[in-house]
Amino acid sequence: MSNEHKGHGVDSNGSTGLDRRGFLAAAGTGATAAVAGCSGIGGGDGGDTIKIGGVYLLSGVAQALGTSSANAAEVAVEQINEEGGIMGQDVEIEVRDHGEDPPAQIRSVAQEYGADVMIGLTSSGVTLGSAPTIESLGVPFTLTDIGTPFITEPDTETYGNYYESDDGKAAFTPNMFRTNANTSHMTYGIAKFVQEEYGASRVANLGPNYAYGEQCWDYFKAYSEGLGVDHEYVASEYPELEASDMTPQINSVLDADPDLVFTSFWAGDATTFISQATEQGLFEQVDDVFDTIGADPTVYEALGDTTPEGIHMSGWYWPTAYDNENNQAFLDAYREKYADDDTVPSIPGFTGGSTWAAIYMYKKAIEAAGSTDPDDIISELEGITIDNDPRGPSTIQPDTHQANAPTVLGETSFDADVPYDGAGLVDTRTYTLTRSESKELLEGSGLGPGL
Amino acid sequence: MSYGVRERLFAPDNRTQVVGLSVAAVLLVVAPFVLGGYQTSLLAQTLIFVVFATAFNLLYGYTGLLSFGHAMFVAASGYTTAKVVQQLAPALGIADIFGGAELLVVWLLALVLGTVSAGILAVFIGYLSVQLEEIYFAMITLSFSMAIFVIVNQDIIGSVLEAVGIGGGTFTNGSDGLTFRMGEVNLFGLEFRLVNIADPTAFYLLTVVVFAVAMYALYRIVNSPFGTICQAIRENPERARALGIDTQFHSWMTFIISGAFSGTAGAMLVMLKTGILPADAFWTSSATPVVMTVIGGPYAFFGPLAGAFTYEYLRWFIRQVPLLEEFWEFSFGFLLLIVVLFFDNGVYGGVRRFRAWLAEARSRYRDDGIAGVVALVQETIVGALRTAAEIVRSLLATLRQRLRALAARVGLG
Repeated sequence: MSNEHKGHGVDSNGSTGLDRRGFLAAAGTGATAAVAGCSGIGGGDGGDTIKIGGVYLLSGVAQALGTSSANAAEVAVEQINEEGGIMGQDVEIEVRDHGEDPPAQIRSVAQEYGADVMIGLTSSGVTLGSAPTIESLGVPFTLTDIGTPFITEPDTETYGNYYESDDGKAAFTPNMFRTNANTSHMTYGIAKFVQEEYGASRVANLGPNYAYGEQCWDYFKAYSEGLGVDHEYVASEYPELEASDMTPQINSVLDADPDLVFTSFWAGDATTFISQATEQGLFEQVDDVFDTIGADPTVYEALGDTTPEGIHMSGWYWPTAYDNENNQAFLDAYREKYADDDTVPSIPGFTGGSTWAAIYMYKKAIEAAGSTDPDDIISELEGITIDNDPRGPSTIQPDTHQANAPTVLGETSFDADVPYDGAGLVDTRTYTLTRSESKELLEGSGLGPGL
Repeated sequence: MSYGVRERLFAPDNRTQVVGLSVAAVLLVVAPFVLGGYQTSLLAQTLIFVVFATAFNLLYGYTGLLSFGHAMFVAASGYTTAKVVQQLAPALGIADIFGGAELLVVWLLALVLGTVSAGILAVFIGYLSVQLEEIYFAMITLSFSMAIFVIVNQDIIGSVLEAVGIGGGTFTNGSDGLTFRMGEVNLFGLEFRLVNIADPTAFYLLTVVVFAVAMYALYRIVNSPFGTICQAIRENPERARALGIDTQFHSWMTFIISGAFSGTAGAMLVMLKTGILPADAFWTSSATPVVMTVIGGPYAFFGPLAGAFTYEYLRWFIRQVPLLEEFWEFSFGFLLLIVVLFFDNGVYGGVRRFRAWLAEARSRYRDDGIAGVVALVQETIVGALRTAAEIVRSLLATLRQRLRALAARVGLG
């Protein structure tokens, strides 16, 4: 949204030819573009390339996050093309920003660019808001960076239909899939770690002031209760998204004297929180601090030597957490492409694994379907196993469309093997969770597993 | 037949208008069958924004009151629409009563209730806002709209309702907003999806109807004595008061009408997007009709129309060029800057001058043949260059003068 144009138009004395000619040129361009647009309609199938469309946040607070997904996708596409493409056809990818109107951007990618399959989205709110649009477009759409468990929760009877009530929690959409571990899964990992390492504690919460922050805290509490850990919840504070000053909230959490602090900051907010909490001495006063999706190279690189060692952060992927050849292939390809690029770290971010996996998943599904017909691809995707997932083979659950890929939790340290000056994760652990386990643990909380 | 319809329609003054309108109407109706899905929904969205910007301009261009919070009416109407589709319609059992036509009834109900709720909001906020003028008016409307943004974003209504024992604490669903699906219509054996993104013809045609009715109504308002009084207030409130006009009351009424029509647009917009987010009440959303109107030209009825089309299709054009899209905010701002700087009274003023130029070209052609047109083109270009040179020269002269004055003041000269 542009905001720089308010007030009155400038009254330039306009009896010149300049504006007329300018207008002519603009009208000409517009007409040409319109004609081009018309002739381009109905693209998609029939071409001899397979088109992948992507929509991520490439500007603002989550820029680093969206960019790292786009980078991973592009590396995967290059790799696939080197290996002969999909069904012998070249693969093409176009990634765009959410822009000011994400559903319009999604429509444009599907209907104008003619994407056969799509990946994307960097915001849970945008995802839920765009789901009816995506559903009616019918194109297979895989989420690679999305936290909200609602979008992969089909049980509308138990949890309420998200689209038909204001408190529904089931927003399953038939042509949407997800390759990253969602909030339900992430918070389970942390709750489990806390249960094993600390037991019942005084826990405080700090998170961004929107649905994601609130959801993370609700799920963490529900899983802790399900695991039988009787925490005392001493404070819960929500600084605004993109807040420049979090010290009031950090101080009020400190005043409550917690043993553990649970946080759900990511990207720029994680950087702000860690640097200001360091100044306030939070990391010395508490036993441990957890974060759901802050573990990203760009965060640690930005923090430099201010990252406190020994706190626990999780993510959907961490480069050194998986010992398998697929992960190595991913890391090699990524390094090769970005080694000389000063603007991005030469290791993938925390959305890298799920994005790379999504592209390879599409390759497998399209080849199995033998066409780019969306319905055929969708039926192949249900239950598909992504063999070369860097996080180990993962399977898309047929009922929920959620991949069972693990979440990773690690300890911050400067000994981590990273190609930049800053911290990374060591002693990483991965957690997996099934729908039935999750359902049992969440019993009585009203929250859906989304797995 | 009412009096003199034929005569009036075919009077020489009206003939071009009638022909123009008929052509526009035919084009609008034929469009979805020629354009693809994306272009059709883009056109639908543009038409909705035309109504929104024209309603906004009733207050801005006609009455001289710059509202910087018009998104609150879209929000009021949008949340009402979402509630109607999600909850009210099922509760009323509309599906049982109307069967296959259910969604059309839901659509109409949402449209009417959305408009009414925006109108009611305008009654209260308008009363308080019209006490102020100029920048203070802009500020108070901005404050109200931001208050509404906070109310829906923090779901304050939900918390209040929960406190009095209704519901589970969610009403506007916080930052995720409300999203809904609109399903199938089955009318006389004709089955179609009302809001279908892949083929939005049905919803588009409804949009054209709403657009035509709303624009006609606004046109009549603008050209009525009521509209004339609005312009009197814009030109000189003191003099309008001296004529016995209660300017505050009149501004209030204009505010309500403007708010209600913005609500109509809001209901359509939210149904097209199948959902509403708190961001739709944020001040950046209020800036949209302002920008559209300013680039289109606020002092003509069809100015906002020209502006909305320019805005939406410029944005579309940027989307087509990856390099521009990567920095779309910059490219959009830059292109708009050109319009604001070089078009007097926006795009609509430009169109009007272009038409005058064409008329001039035609008369030259009649007098001197093609040579006359070539001469006119030359004159135009030379005139443009001369004006540009004049502007640069005067800028330099001013700068030199200022610098000299400054130097003198600090004792350098």
